[in-house]
Amino acid sequence: MAEVPLPEPFQSLEPFSAWALATERERRAKRLSSSMEEIQAFYDALFPQLEAVVAYLDQFPLDQLPAEAQPLYYLTLSLVEVTSAVELYHNPHIFEAIEPTRFRRVE
Amino acid sequence: MQAATENRRWSKEYPELGTGPVPAESCISPEYFELERERVFRRTWLNVGRVDDVPNAGDFFVRELAVCKTSILVIRGKDGVIRGFHNVCSHRSNKLVWEERGTCRGALACHFHSWGYNAQGQLTGVPDEENFHDLDKSKLGLSPVTTDVWEGFIFVHLGPQPQETLIDYLGGVAEQFKGATFHKRRLTHTYKVEEQANWKVALDAQNEAYHLPFQHRYSFPGMFVLKDNRYLRLSGVKLYNHHAVWSTTYNSESTPTPTGALMNQLNTATTNSRLPMLGDFDFFVIFPNFVILQFRGIEDDYYMTYNFWPLAVNRCIWEIKFHFPPAETAGQRLSQEYLKHRICDVLQEDAVAHETLQTGLNSRAKTHLILQDDEIQIRHFHTVLEDYMGFFNGRGH
Repeated sequence: MAEVPLPEPFQSLEPFSAWALATERERRAKRLSSSMEEIQAFYDALFPQLEAVVAYLDQFPLDQLPAEAQPLYYLTLSLVEVTSAVELYHNPHIFEAIEPTRFRRVE
Repeated sequence: MQAATENRRWSKEYPELGTGPVPAESCISPEYFELERERVFRRTWLNVGRVDDVPNAGDFFVRELAVCKTSILVIRGKDGVIRGFHNVCSHRSNKLVWEERGTCRGALACHFHSWGYNAQGQLTGVPDEENFHDLDKSKLGLSPVTTDVWEGFIFVHLGPQPQETLIDYLGGVAEQFKGATFHKRRLTHTYKVEEQANWKVALDAQNEAYHLPFQHRYSFPGMFVLKDNRYLRLSGVKLYNHHAVWSTTYNSESTPTPTGALMNQLNTATTNSRLPMLGDFDFFVIFPNFVILQFRGIEDDYYMTYNFWPLAVNRCIWEIKFHFPPAETAGQRLSQEYLKHRICDVLQEDAVAHETLQTGLNSRAKTHLILQDDEIQIRHFHTVLEDYMGFFNGRGH
């Protein structure tokens, strides 16, 4: 959850701060526990601004993102997490795939 | 793009492989699996990691090799040399290191009686040493395992005396990758899937492109159906002594999704180096259980590896690793995350097939696998396997 407020131009994304998650495991769990309506709302809010968000983030080297940019960066990673659900499956789950927890990310 | 119109072209190029069906018994027989332990996994070079896993002196990782009934410790010595050892204490054979990875600072101590070993595997400390009889520490180091490094990939050989050096074993594959800039990519993501499938069922299922337009119709709709190549026939097949590679070209006609289009723009170069590729996508099977997958990127290429680790006749671990150029910006990192995400969707579909295939094979309703010409690499794999096993030609039972 974002403790730091988002940078000024992107404060409209504040209602979606629960998607600002640091690890792939958390982002995956968030997608799988969200309804398609929630996922679509997040996508609809962020996707039109994604280019501007990335342009903002790309002012900084990736390993030196300032604190207020960090949650924004996590939001973009969550967007990637849900993009197939929105653009392809219209469903939070992949069809005909193994149980997601069995596809284990080794951190 | 090479026209893919000629039927059965690969069998004309490699007539010695024949065209008949392949026995399915090798994937379901417990007896076969027991023989595989000795005849395949103790007679071949096995990839266990990369030099990046042990960047500094003292760094180590442990690889559980259930198929060889052993645990291997790979450690970089103070002299910079990467060595492999059986992960077994010289005192009474306790398992020495329990962590998956770490760094040896001073000594690795056995949990049982605290016998200590340095990063070169030498025994350095024995508590109450004076109470032993004729103990010669210099002769009681860890038991070494033949270990070698090729293009940054660490291999071990568990046979008493490897018949071929690693480079000879790799043969034409080593030639193909001479000077490849693998080291300019970084391991970014690792996944492990424990599957109810024989390791070869999982490997065979990945080892062709024929299934892509069908099995992955949800995750990549239309992507693999090309106007002049609607069954995604391969653009190249090269069969080596033990190993094989096949290649495909990308579908330039397909329209990316909105996110995909944006990610393509963000996918900019950071290494200024390409990988030595044969097509847009290359799948190298390095016998027995290691795969290098090369992907043509927009400005930079990236690669993945698979290791299929047998646990039992019908169980294996599929280990998946992504290696991308180091991302310098959030945009670059995001485009890599996107590629990884799309590929992982496909792999989660693949994993289902590994298990449904195994279920079907276990029923023994069918005795053979039927292979088309663009599955010749599977035929080749089973031919190499039989060369090691001699199961169906006499030495089997």
